[in-house]
Amino acid sequence: MSRLTIQGLSKAFGNVAAVHEIDLDVAEGEFVSLLGPSGCGKTTTLRCVAGLEEPTSGRILFGEKDVTRLPTEDRMIGMVFQSYALFPHMKVRDNIGFGLAMRGVRGSEADKRVAKVLDIVQLKGLEERYPRALSGGQQQRVALARALVTEPALLLLDEPLANLDARLRDEMRFFIRSLQRRLGITTLYVTHDQSESMIMSDRIVVMFGGRIHQIGGPEDIYYRPATGEVANFIGQANMIQATVVESRDGVATVESACGRFSCATGRPLVAGSRVTAMVRPEALRLVNGADRSAFSGQIVARHFLGSTVDYRIVLADGTLISVHALGGNASQTGGRVSVEVDPSKAWLLQ
Amino acid sequence: MKRWLFALPAVLMVALFVLIPYLNIAVMSFRTPSATAIYGPGFTIENYTRVLTDSLYLGLLKDTLLFAVATTSICLVVGFPVAFHLARTNSRWRGLLYAGVLSPLLTGVVIRCFGWIVLLANNGLINQLLGLAGLGPYRLMYNPVGVTIALVHVFLPFMILPIMNSVQSIDPRLGEAARTLGASRARSFARVLLPLSMPGIQSGVILVFVLSASAYIIPMLLGGGQVSTMPTVVVQQLMGSLLWPFGATLALVLSLTALALVGLFGALTRRSMRGVA
Repeated sequence: MSRLTIQGLSKAFGNVAAVHEIDLDVAEGEFVSLLGPSGCGKTTTLRCVAGLEEPTSGRILFGEKDVTRLPTEDRMIGMVFQSYALFPHMKVRDNIGFGLAMRGVRGSEADKRVAKVLDIVQLKGLEERYPRALSGGQQQRVALARALVTEPALLLLDEPLANLDARLRDEMRFFIRSLQRRLGITTLYVTHDQSESMIMSDRIVVMFGGRIHQIGGPEDIYYRPATGEVANFIGQANMIQATVVESRDGVATVESACGRFSCATGRPLVAGSRVTAMVRPEALRLVNGADRSAFSGQIVARHFLGSTVDYRIVLADGTLISVHALGGNASQTGGRVSVEVDPSKAWLLQ
Repeated sequence: MKRWLFALPAVLMVALFVLIPYLNIAVMSFRTPSATAIYGPGFTIENYTRVLTDSLYLGLLKDTLLFAVATTSICLVVGFPVAFHLARTNSRWRGLLYAGVLSPLLTGVVIRCFGWIVLLANNGLINQLLGLAGLGPYRLMYNPVGVTIALVHVFLPFMILPIMNSVQSIDPRLGEAARTLGASRARSFARVLLPLSMPGIQSGVILVFVLSASAYIIPMLLGGGQVSTMPTVVVQQLMGSLLWPFGATLALVLSLTALALVGLFGALTRRSMRGVA
């Protein structure tokens, strides 16, 4: 187990910068996700940490040790690939034993460790199978076992659940997370799935265009996004243009085209400045009758989502917002409603 | 329509142009020689006892197989890196490289042999260049060296193409996975990439071996009568001495020996193919 430090990491392919000046600290035993759309540099970052790509500049440290120029095989990492990359010509036993053999662990000691890790990933009895005779979920577990059996200092996962069906993916999220907690292994996890990263991570690193936009806990990222891109990428976000009326102690009162409301903010603001308020659909409430702190608008669409109902509402200034109300609300398409903001969950973007 | 009917044209082709001629050769190889006809009356095993006891013909068989083994080995060593590179490269020159590999197949084998004669002759291009450096001239043709050079050149694509195919079907992540598990580049190659490219290596080796063992024009032209292989002697027997039964025996012995060696090679490599193909 070790701490991972990334300092000023950049990676360019030809003239194209895939990763630009990234700094990141992952504490011992921490589970950190790199989250972003495809092409945001998250996989490149992971591959630099693995030593599969050579950084253009910057440093990577495991604990105190600079590994930037260390070949992959000497980094003591475990990695799980999106395609699993199981060796098709080796049985499950030999796939898992490969890393042990490469590190000089053979014979009964190797057998013991393979058996132990197979037990951990709940695959006992499949030792003699070839990978192609396994289901996708089983292959995933073999890949995980193979990465863990050498007791690496760092576990790297590159979209490991992307090829599984939805049910299995849900199950594996919890499985991987609880296994990681149990082993206390420092983990860097690449995903483009925001709910996956929120469920699994201690902290999330949100990346766009090769740069880090925000590093924070799932709730920070969700309720207090640093940028509009982050707000939009992580779940649904309503963006409301407004002007600051007054601001103190992290709470600002803003005036928008459709009403005045208060908002949390991470920085001091000057009255009169133009800002964008971000409100999650579930932080809005439909109310009957007019209220000074509420917007009013017209319901243009209603979608039943199961536990909630999604209302699309056009405000007076033409802004389309989305409100998630608990089921049973009888408001119908075309009706006029007022919308109330939960000030603790409204957030002013930078 | 029965589905087997679709296979009928192929089956007929094989029967007509492969099985029947082979049967004909097999029968011919037991005939007696004749000065006035293609073969004389009655049957004999004399042809076989002659081939299998006469050190001349056994030496010829050995030489022919040595040519084939040498050509195959050189093609494998030279071709594998090319195949590997072609399979993995993203270079924009890829199409050009591919055409380069295929180019030996674009002209007839006779033309290519004359090309080599121009290069390898005692006053040919290579010896002239060596002469400028104060070396040589070396005898590069009308001997086994020239024949082997031409065999390698002509049959190299048959090694490269199947290996390239095999390597292309290997997930590049497999090599990376091996590296993350502590394997050096060399071990990752030996334990993962090489075993997984075995199907291509196997096809390439068999193709080049069989083709070079049965090559006639190349040893003929670049051997210039100084190099004898089974196929050149078979043609001598048929065209020169008009000894059809003995020629048939020689041809069949070469075919069966090559077949046996291919079978042996297949058996030896089967273990390493487990789980791959």
